[in-house]
Amino acid sequence: MMLFLARRAATLGVTVLLASFLVFLIPYVTPGDPVRKIIRSRVAGEVIDDSVLQGLTAQLGLQDPLVVQYLRWLGRLAGGDMGLSYASRTPVVEQVVPALVVTLSLVVLTLGTAAAVSVVLGIVAALQEGRPADRVITTVTQAFIAMPEYWLAPLLVLVFALNLSLLPSAGWEGPASAVLPVTVLALRPISYFTSAVREGMLDALGAEHVVAARARGLSHFHTVRKHVIPNGLLPLTTLVAVWFAGLLGGSVIVEVVFAIPGMGRLLYDAVLNSDIPLAQGGVVVVVGLAVVLTTAADLIHGLLNPRIRGHHA
Amino acid sequence: MPEGLVVEHLHVSHRAPEAAPGSGTGSAGGRGGHPILSGVDLAVAPGEFVALVGASGSGKTMTAMSVLGLLPPQVHLDGGTIRLGGTDLARARETELNRVRGGRIGMLYQQPKRMFNPRRTVGSHLREPLKLHGGLRGARAGARALELLAEVGFEDPRWCARAHPHQLSGGMAQRAMVALALAGRPELLLADEPTSALDTVLERQILELIDRERRDRGVGILYITHNLATVSAYADRVMVMDTGHIVESGPAGAVLNAPQSACTKALLDAAALNPARTAPSATEARPVVVLDSITKRFPSNGREARPAVDQVSLDLREGEILGVLGQSGSGKSTLARLIVGLETPDSGRITGTLGADADGTGAAGSHVQLVFQDPHDSFDPRMRLRTSLEAPLLRRRDTTSEQRRMRIHEVVQEVGLDPGLLDGFPGQCSGGQLQRLTIARALLLEPTVLICDEATSALDAVTQRTVLDLLLRLHRNRRLSLVMISHDLSVIRYMSHRVAVLFQGRLVELAETEDLFTGPRHEHSKQLVAAALPRVCAILDAHRLPQEQVDALP
Repeated sequence: MMLFLARRAATLGVTVLLASFLVFLIPYVTPGDPVRKIIRSRVAGEVIDDSVLQGLTAQLGLQDPLVVQYLRWLGRLAGGDMGLSYASRTPVVEQVVPALVVTLSLVVLTLGTAAAVSVVLGIVAALQEGRPADRVITTVTQAFIAMPEYWLAPLLVLVFALNLSLLPSAGWEGPASAVLPVTVLALRPISYFTSAVREGMLDALGAEHVVAARARGLSHFHTVRKHVIPNGLLPLTTLVAVWFAGLLGGSVIVEVVFAIPGMGRLLYDAVLNSDIPLAQGGVVVVVGLAVVLTTAADLIHGLLNPRIRGHHA
Repeated sequence: MPEGLVVEHLHVSHRAPEAAPGSGTGSAGGRGGHPILSGVDLAVAPGEFVALVGASGSGKTMTAMSVLGLLPPQVHLDGGTIRLGGTDLARARETELNRVRGGRIGMLYQQPKRMFNPRRTVGSHLREPLKLHGGLRGARAGARALELLAEVGFEDPRWCARAHPHQLSGGMAQRAMVALALAGRPELLLADEPTSALDTVLERQILELIDRERRDRGVGILYITHNLATVSAYADRVMVMDTGHIVESGPAGAVLNAPQSACTKALLDAAALNPARTAPSATEARPVVVLDSITKRFPSNGREARPAVDQVSLDLREGEILGVLGQSGSGKSTLARLIVGLETPDSGRITGTLGADADGTGAAGSHVQLVFQDPHDSFDPRMRLRTSLEAPLLRRRDTTSEQRRMRIHEVVQEVGLDPGLLDGFPGQCSGGQLQRLTIARALLLEPTVLICDEATSALDAVTQRTVLDLLLRLHRNRRLSLVMISHDLSVIRYMSHRVAVLFQGRLVELAETEDLFTGPRHEHSKQLVAAALPRVCAILDAHRLPQEQVDALP
C-alpha cells in the first residue's frame, strides 16, 4: 500500500509540475513582449521610462534562464503570490480565493444533489428492471444528456425567473439563487450517475453470493440492503470524484449565464480582458485541484476494494 | 419421530416470461412450460447420507433450489410436496422459509468463493445466520463465529474471521462455507458438488467434515454430485437423476454393484477409468520437448516469492502421454505456459527438437498447442465459432477460404461434432462440445504436442470420459504427444504412460504410472495417492478413513 501511495504521489507531482510549467509559459507564447507583461503583473504603477524598465528587468531576474525564472515563479506561487491582476490592479490571489469558494460550493451542491437523486433512481430502476418504472427512469435520464447547458440555462431563466418570477435569475446570494444553476448543472451528472448506479446494482443483484445470502435465511429486503446496494454503489464513488474535477472548470457557461462570481466566471473575464496573471492564477488552481481530485478518485476506489486494500494490510 | 426431508412428485418447469403471468402455480398446466423436474421423489432421514447423482443438466441443482424455495425467476414449481420435519415448504410463507433457509437447512456450493460477498469479511458473513437463527449478537456472535471456524479446522480462526473471501484458497473457502452452513445448526445439509473443484486431499477433508456432522449431530445430508467415487465411499443411499426424473434409487451398494438403468451404467462406466490399456512408453523414443532446469518466479508485492516452477528438468517423448499431477498451486499451469512459450523461464532452457527454437526461449510455435480448463473462457462469446476456429489458420497466407472451410469441417468431424454447430455462438454449446472445439482448434495447426491443462476438470463424469477417449484416439491416430495436467488421480492414471508429480514448484517424482500408484516414493506422492477415494468398482463401504488418518491429512 505504501508503495502504491508513493507511486501515485510521484505521478501527481509530475503532472502538477508539467501543468504549472505550461501555465508559466503563457506570457511567453501570447502576443506581445513577455518582459513587459511580467513587469506589469508585478508592479502596480505604469512603467514608461526605458531605464526604469531595464532596472526592473534586472531586479526581477527576467534575463535569467527560463528554468530559473520558472523555479522562482513556482516559489512565489507556493507562497500564494500570483501577481497583480491587469484589470483590477489588486493581487490575483484575492480574487481567486473567493471565486474558488463559490465554485466549490456550487459543485458540491450540484454533485450532492445529483448523487442523491441518482442513487434513488438507479436503485429503483435496477430493482424494477424491464418494468415501466425502469423504462421511464432510463428514458428520462438519458434525455438529460441531450440538453446542453447553454440551451437549458436561458430556458429555465426565461420560465422560472422572468415569466413566473419564482426564482432569481442571477447572482449567488441565498439558497433560492442556487436552485436554477444547480438544476442545470446537475442534469448531465444525474444521467450518467443513474445509469452507473443501475448497472452497478444489476451486476450486484446478479452475483451468485446474493442467492447464497438468501439461502442463509436473509429476506429479500435485507439481502438487497446489505449485499446488493453497498456493492452496487461502488462504481458511483469514482464517477463522482471524476465529475468533481470536471465541473471545477466546466461550470463556465452556468456561471456566466447566472452571473455567479465563481472560477468559471473569473477565467471567462480574465480571457476577455487579456488579464494574463488572473488567467494564470485561475488555471493553476483549477488544474491543481483537478489533478488532486482525480488521484483521490483512484485512491477511493482502491480503499473501497478489499482486493487492493487487503493485499497490503 | 422426525421424518427429515421428504419430497414427493415434484414438478418444476421453465417458462418464458410472457408465458408466466402473475397467476399462481398450476393454472398454466402444460402450456409452454419446459419441464425441468418431472415427478421427483426423494427422502433424506436424519443422520442419513443420500447422494443425488447425475450428469450436468439433469436437474440436481434445481432440486436443491426447490427445497430452499429459491428457484430462478422464470422457473416455477408446478406441483408436488416438499416437507421438512412436518413443515410443508412448498406452501410455506416467505417468513417461514426465511427461518428454514440457513436455520434448518444449510447449503454448500461448488464455487464457494463466488458465494461470499467479496467486500465483506468471513466473520461478517457468519454473524448473519448467528443473529437470524441463533439470536446471537455482538461479542457472543463473534465468539461463536470463531468456535465454528475452529470446528471446521481453521488453526487461526481470528485471521479467517477478519479475512476477505479473495484471501482464502479454494479449500479454505469451502471450509468457511461449511462453517457458515452449520451456523444455524441445521438438521439438513444440501451439498451441491462442494468438492468437484477441489483436489483429492481437500476433497477428502471436506467430505470428512460433512460426515462428522452426520455422525455427531444426526444431520441429514443430500449430496449432489456427478462423482461416483465420492458416493461409493460415503453414501447410504444413492438416487440417480436423468433429465428431471429419478431413474434409480436404493442402497449405495445395490445401485453401484447392480445398476438397473442405462443412465447409471453410463455414469459407472465413465467413473471406472480403468488404467493400463496401453503399453508403457518406449524408453528409446526420442524426446520432442526437453526442459532443462527451468525456474520461473512471479514478483509478488516486492517480496521474494517461492518460485512457481523451481528447477524442473523433464522430457516429453515422441508419442507419449505424460501426466503432470499436483495440488492447486503446485505450478502445473505455469509449467504448461512455459512449454507453450506464453511465459519465459527465468533460468533454464526449453528445447523442442521438432520445432524452431532459435532464441531458446521456448518450444513455441504451432507444434505445441494448449487446451485450457474452462472451455467457456476459451472462446470469444460474441464471435461465431467458425470465426474463432478460422483465426489461427489466417496466419498461413497460402490458403483460400474454401480450403480453410474444408479443413475446419474435417477436424470438427474428427473430434466427433457436427460442422453445423460452427454457425452458432459459444453460449449455445455444452461444455463438452466446447471442449471438443478447443481441441479441434488446437489440431488445426497440426501440433505434435498437445498440452491439456485440467482440460476435463470442469466437465461431468460422462462428458469427461468421452473427451478423454477422444484424446486417446487422437493420440493413437496422429501420434500426438500429450501432456495431461490434472489434480485428478483417476484421470492421470487412465491416460498417462509416465507421471510427473509437482509439489511447490519442484518435480518430486517422475515414474511409470503403475509404479507411482502402487509404490509412490516421495512423501507428497504418498499423501496424494492415499487421499484418493477408492475407485468405484473396488469396494463400496468400509472406506471411510479411520479417524487418526483423517487427522493426519495435511
